[in-house]
Amino acid sequence: MIVTRSALYCFLISAIFCSLAPDVRAHGGVVEEDDLCVIKVNYLRAHFKIYQPLAAGLEQYCEDLPVASESIFVMEYQHDSLSEMEVDFRIIRDVTGKGRFARIEDVDAIPDLEGATVYYRAPVIEPDVYTVNYTFAEEGEFIGIVSATQLQTGKVYAAVFPFEVGYTGLGYWPFIIGLVLSIQFQYLLMSGRLRRWFTNRQAAAASLVVMLLLVSPLTFAADYVVTYTTPDGDPEINRMHSWILHIKDDAGVEIEDAVIDVEGGMPEHDHGLPTKPRVTVDLGGGDYKLDGLRFHMSGFWEIVVTISTDEGTSTVIIPLQL
Amino acid sequence: MKPVTLKVGLILAAVVTVAVVWQQWPKTPPPWTDAETATLKSLWLESLPDLPEDRSNAVADDPVAAEFGRELFFDPRLSANGSISCATCHQEERRFTDGLQKAQAIGTTDRHTPSIVGMAYSPWQFWDGRRDSLWSQALAPLEDPNEHATDRRQVVGVVAQDESYREAYRSLFGELELVADSDDTELNTAFANIGKSIAAFERTLMPTSSRFDDYVQAVVTDDTERQAVLFTDAEVRGLRLFLGEANCLQCHNGPLFTNHEFHNTGVISFPGEVPDKARVAGVREVLTNEFNCRGVFSDDPERRCSELEFARTGVDLIGAFKTPSLRNLENTAPFMHKGQIATLAEVLAHYNIAADAMIGHNEAKPLALNGRELAELEAFLNTLTAPVRCVGDCP
Repeated sequence: MIVTRSALYCFLISAIFCSLAPDVRAHGGVVEEDDLCVIKVNYLRAHFKIYQPLAAGLEQYCEDLPVASESIFVMEYQHDSLSEMEVDFRIIRDVTGKGRFARIEDVDAIPDLEGATVYYRAPVIEPDVYTVNYTFAEEGEFIGIVSATQLQTGKVYAAVFPFEVGYTGLGYWPFIIGLVLSIQFQYLLMSGRLRRWFTNRQAAAASLVVMLLLVSPLTFAADYVVTYTTPDGDPEINRMHSWILHIKDDAGVEIEDAVIDVEGGMPEHDHGLPTKPRVTVDLGGGDYKLDGLRFHMSGFWEIVVTISTDEGTSTVIIPLQL
Repeated sequence: MKPVTLKVGLILAAVVTVAVVWQQWPKTPPPWTDAETATLKSLWLESLPDLPEDRSNAVADDPVAAEFGRELFFDPRLSANGSISCATCHQEERRFTDGLQKAQAIGTTDRHTPSIVGMAYSPWQFWDGRRDSLWSQALAPLEDPNEHATDRRQVVGVVAQDESYREAYRSLFGELELVADSDDTELNTAFANIGKSIAAFERTLMPTSSRFDDYVQAVVTDDTERQAVLFTDAEVRGLRLFLGEANCLQCHNGPLFTNHEFHNTGVISFPGEVPDKARVAGVREVLTNEFNCRGVFSDDPERRCSELEFARTGVDLIGAFKTPSLRNLENTAPFMHKGQIATLAEVLAHYNIAADAMIGHNEAKPLALNGRELAELEAFLNTLTAPVRCVGDCP
C-alpha cells in the first residue's frame, strides 16, 4: 500500500474541517489511488513512482525518499496525450516555507527559481514512459514540478509535489495523533450525522444498481459463434501461422462483410500476443483469413475476436490450450 | 512433569523430527511421464528445425560468403582506430560474449554484449530487436560511435582496397566499384552486401549437443541406467523445477531455450541511467530502418516480411527485452541486458522475488523456491554447456 504523507495530512485537514477544505491539489500533484501513486497534471494522469536503485533496489516510493542517493522518477502515462506533449521536470529546494502544502502559486512566487533549482530537464516529448535520474547531494525538503505543454495550443499544465529526502524522523506520528484527536472532535460535533450519511450511501448504491440493470441489456449486441480451422497444421508455439475464422450468428446464418478485430493473450500471465494478427482476406461465406498469429508460450491462451457489423459489435473469446 | 507425559512428548518429538527429515530429504526422482518426455523432446537440440532461410540475403547460405564474412568478422581494420573488430566484443572463447557489463569498444555501449550463437533462428536482432536480420544487425555496430565508430564509405573502402576481399566480393556480388565514384545507392548496396557476408558467417555459429541433450536421448530411449550416469539427482530435480514450478518454459522454450520474443522481467536499472525502454523503442526503429526486410537492399523481390507486417507495438513492450538462450551460460557472466546481475545464482534469486518493474510491467511472478531448489535449478542450467560448433579455421 502506497500512502503519501501529504495525502494523509490533506485527509487529516479535511477530516477536521468536515471535508469542506479547499482542494489543495487543484493544479495537480501526487495522490494515492487504489494502491497506486498517481500524478495529476491538471486532468492528465500518470502512475508516479520513485526508485533508489543503489540504496533500496526495487523498493518503490511515492514521494518521500529515505536517503540522498541516485533517484529515478518514473511517470507511466494513463493519458495518451501526455506522450505527445513536451514535458519538463524540475526539482527545487523548498524555499517556499510551505513544506508539504506548497502549491503552484507558491512556486510561481519564488523570485529566483533557477537559484533554487537542483535539477532541470528541458522540455522533451517522451513517448511511452517518462523517466528522470537525479542523484541528490544532500537531504532536505524539495519540490518537484512537472509541466506539460500542449504543442498545438501552447497550453501548459503543471503538477507540484513537495517531498522530503531523508525523513525528519517524525514519520507518521503527527498524523496518527492528529487522527485520534480529529475522530474525537468529529464525534463530539456530529454524533447524529454519521447514521444519516450511511443511509444516503445505501440509497445511492441501490439506485446505481437499478440503473445498471436497466442499461445492461442495451450493451449486448447479437450473439455470434466463431469457429476456426488451421490450414497450416495445428497451432504450435513460436511459429507464425494463419487461421480461417468462420463466423455465424446463433441462428446459423454466416456473417459476411464484418469488420474483425483480433486481440489475445494469456490471462494467467497478464500479457498479450507477441504479434499483432489481423484479418487480411474476407473469403466470403462467413470465412475470414486471420494472418500473423504466433504463440510464444505453452499454456492457456484466449483469442478475443471482435466482430462489428451493421447490427452492432460483439466479442467472442476463443479459448486455446497449447 | 509425570514420566508418562515426558515419554509421550519424546515420542511425539521423534515422530515430528522423522517426518520433517523425510519431507526435506532429497528423494530419488520419479520417472518422467509421457507429457514430460514430450516437453523434454521439445527442448532437445535434435528437435532444432532446419535453419530458417533468409530470403532478404541471397548469400546467406553460400560457403564463400561465410568464409568472406568470417574474415571480416575478425578484421580490426573495420573501425575508426584500426583496433576493433566484431570479435573484440563477440569473443569466441567466451561463447561470443565479452565478460563485461556493457560492451567496450571505441567507447562504452548502451548494453551487454549478447551471444550470437544460434541467433540465425531469431526473427529479431539486438536486445530490443531493432533489426530484423543478421545482416542488417551486422551493419549497425560498424557505424555506432561507441563501437567500431567507422562509416559505410570507409568499410566499403577497406574491402575495395584489399585484394583478397575484392576478389571474394566480386565472386559473390560482382565488381566492387571504387568508392569515390559511387553514388549513395551503390555505396549502400556494397555496405549491405558486406553485412550479408558477415551474416553468412554468423549463420554457421550453432550450439552443439550438451549433457542435457544426451540425457534427453536417454529419456527418449528409456535408458534409465544412462540417465543416472548423465544427471545427478539434484540436476534431475532442477530440470523438473525448470519444466514446472519455476515457470522457466514460458519464455525459455524450444531447443534454443528461447522463444525469441520480448519480455519485461523487472531487471533493475543500470547505475547512473534511467531504466531502458527496450522493445517499445526498438520496434519503432526496426519498422523504419533503411536496411529492414521491406527496404530496397533486401534480396527478396516479393518483400515477404511477415515479422514486420505483424509486429506488435505499444506500451506493453516498455522495458521488454529479447529472451536470451540458456544454452552455454558458462563463461558468459554477467547477465541481463546491461550485465546488471553478476552470477547465475543471483539471476535465479531475481526471478524468485520478481518485484514490480521500474517501468512497464514485470511479467514474471514470484516463485518462492527455497535455497535448495534454486541450487538444483542452477545445477540443471549448467548441464546445458557444450562447445560451440566448430567453424572455419578453428582446431
